[in-house]
Amino acid sequence: MKKSKGISYAKWGYIFITPFFIAYVIFTLYPQILTIYNSFFENYREGLKQVGPNFVGFGNYVKLFTPDKTGTINILKYTGNTLALWIGGAIPQIVIALLLAIFFTSYRLNIKGQQFFKTVIYMPNLIMASAFSMLFFTLFSNVGPVNQLITAAGWSEVPIDFFAYKGTVRGLICLMNFLMWFGNTTILLMAGIMGIDQSLFEAANLDGASSVQTFFRVTLPLLMPILVYTVITAMIGGLQMFDVPQVLTNGKGMPDRTSMTLIMYLNNYLGGSKNYGMSGAISVIIFIITGILSMFVYRSLTKKD
Amino acid sequence: MKKIIALLLTVVMVVALFAVGGGTAFADDEGKVFNIYAWNEEFKGFFEKYYEVPDGVTVNWIIVPSDNGAYQDALDAALLNQADAAADDKVDMFLAEADYILKYVDSEATQDITALGVTDFSNAYTYTVQAASDADGVVKGVSFQCCPSALIYRRSIAKDVLGTDDPTEVQALLDSWDKFNAVAADAKAKGYYMTASFAETYRPFSNNCTSPWVDEDNNLQFDPQIEAWIAQTDEFIQNGYTLTAGVWDDEKNVQMFADGKTMCFFGPAWYFNFCMGNAMDPDKGCSGDWAICEGPAAHFWGGTWLLAPAGSDNPTMLADIMNTFINDEEVCTALVANEAQFSNNQAVNAKFAEDPDYGNEFLGGQNDVAVFAGMTDNIVWENHTIYDQLLNEGLQTSLQEYYRGSVDQDTALNNFYLYVNEKYPTIVTP
Repeated sequence: MKKSKGISYAKWGYIFITPFFIAYVIFTLYPQILTIYNSFFENYREGLKQVGPNFVGFGNYVKLFTPDKTGTINILKYTGNTLALWIGGAIPQIVIALLLAIFFTSYRLNIKGQQFFKTVIYMPNLIMASAFSMLFFTLFSNVGPVNQLITAAGWSEVPIDFFAYKGTVRGLICLMNFLMWFGNTTILLMAGIMGIDQSLFEAANLDGASSVQTFFRVTLPLLMPILVYTVITAMIGGLQMFDVPQVLTNGKGMPDRTSMTLIMYLNNYLGGSKNYGMSGAISVIIFIITGILSMFVYRSLTKKD
Repeated sequence: MKKIIALLLTVVMVVALFAVGGGTAFADDEGKVFNIYAWNEEFKGFFEKYYEVPDGVTVNWIIVPSDNGAYQDALDAALLNQADAAADDKVDMFLAEADYILKYVDSEATQDITALGVTDFSNAYTYTVQAASDADGVVKGVSFQCCPSALIYRRSIAKDVLGTDDPTEVQALLDSWDKFNAVAADAKAKGYYMTASFAETYRPFSNNCTSPWVDEDNNLQFDPQIEAWIAQTDEFIQNGYTLTAGVWDDEKNVQMFADGKTMCFFGPAWYFNFCMGNAMDPDKGCSGDWAICEGPAAHFWGGTWLLAPAGSDNPTMLADIMNTFINDEEVCTALVANEAQFSNNQAVNAKFAEDPDYGNEFLGGQNDVAVFAGMTDNIVWENHTIYDQLLNEGLQTSLQEYYRGSVDQDTALNNFYLYVNEKYPTIVTP
């Protein structure tokens, strides 16, 4: 009889993580593979008539990258839109969140009523994005309160058509995404800063470091893992931006499709005609873009000098 | 005390026993659950008020709002699953709008209602029957309403611009597009808008198309009527005769208030009875300052059809409902008198049209049924395709950007083609 060398608890670890992997395979991995599989087929509905699925190889991808008659490769245009809309919201979001996180955690400032402020800045995130978007649509419509204010104050004779200009539509989308997410980011970054050993800040203080020096030499480097996580998750969310621009522009991405995001484009194919082939191909492209950009962000932020 | 309770229980039991015996019942082999798909509560209200459901049958309403095509998605899924569904889960009747009715009528998912016993269409308006007929003329459903769309004008503004608010005289001054366009200039000169939306006149044009949206090779084509609408709208926008708002936008709706500056709107009975709330506002509205006439072109807008899905397990009740809502004089009369509908029964409508005491308060006492009854003969249902709804919407929303000044016309049309390519891969765009 061979005596075991000790009791192994490792199997319990595997048992405990099994439910997650089962759920992951059924609800994420399998649909992902199915999406890739579908992207190689012509498969849509015309009226009540089902067309396909017929295998077309890379046909759907070729179609996506074929320029239209004005010479625009539309999927690249929508990728550009999506990135512009994300960056426009994400930069102020991260900068403001970082500032707020530092203010809230600073033992020097010691802000009173922190709980209240944290709740308030988190609040917009609790509203459904589509409801928030609808609210902005009504606020900024030609006969909405903002235009009434503008005409009443005499800033403009005629109402400003906020939805006729690329800049204003994109600006509104960025503003909404910023308002919705900066509270969430603040709380994440605060958790990150509070995880840093307080004695480091005290030591820096004793050595006569200024607040700015403390931030750049102590806080930021130690916060990097959380910051990278925040930026990458924000980017993945940003690439999947849908509800805010969809509701604000009623799915049109106006003007001239300059606020049409990749997912809105995908949704155009999916809604009504159930075009699983083309929307599958767009999904795969979004997946690849997300992978490349995440890698890029990760590399550039964690680069060692 | 016990005795009283026992007596009471006995009475209740006996009453219940008799109650079960009453009423009409259809053949025993038909289903006990009647499933109706709809996108809002409108018809449900009429159904519950005016249709007596046979004993033992439960009516099950599946109501899915039509926003973003959700209703059609749910309905399509149910119809495609019809053959495999359990008897009680089968769709027994569904509602469809004019904009997409052809998708269902021209498919195997619906069945011939004449075979079910709905055969008398003599009182129904021709176009409502045509709309529910497939390419071979097989009738698949009926409409409980008829929706001729009128020119709805502000009496006070018409007096100022045209010198009269009498519907017959106004009609004589606006019975062609040339006259309509000329009056638009007069209205502008007096500080009014002719219409309040760039797309207000879309339906009067598009309903009279002489060719369908796609030719036999599936090439997208613009009918001369659509081109005429674009030309008119270009002129109206450039000259400030109309606004850049869409037909359902708030910007248009505020024009219905008493201080609004717009003379003309287009719409059927349901539009001025249910969608012109601003005009009916007790403080800021102008109820009574309105009237209707046929306008430059006969057309219709909307309307709800009851369609018969293939494979329903309640064919007798299905046919009975359809007959009730087009041929039952009492029910059709109630629809006009109580529900502000223009019924799909010519005999009933004729009674109201001739009744000197009948009038619509909102229209300053004008007999709207009489006006509509005179318009129906000119309405045609032809040159429709299963693509109509999205193509009509897509063209309007794409061109709206042009009218708002965001893009030039070529870009707007190109965006329309992109939209068509996304929605219908088989349509060939220019």
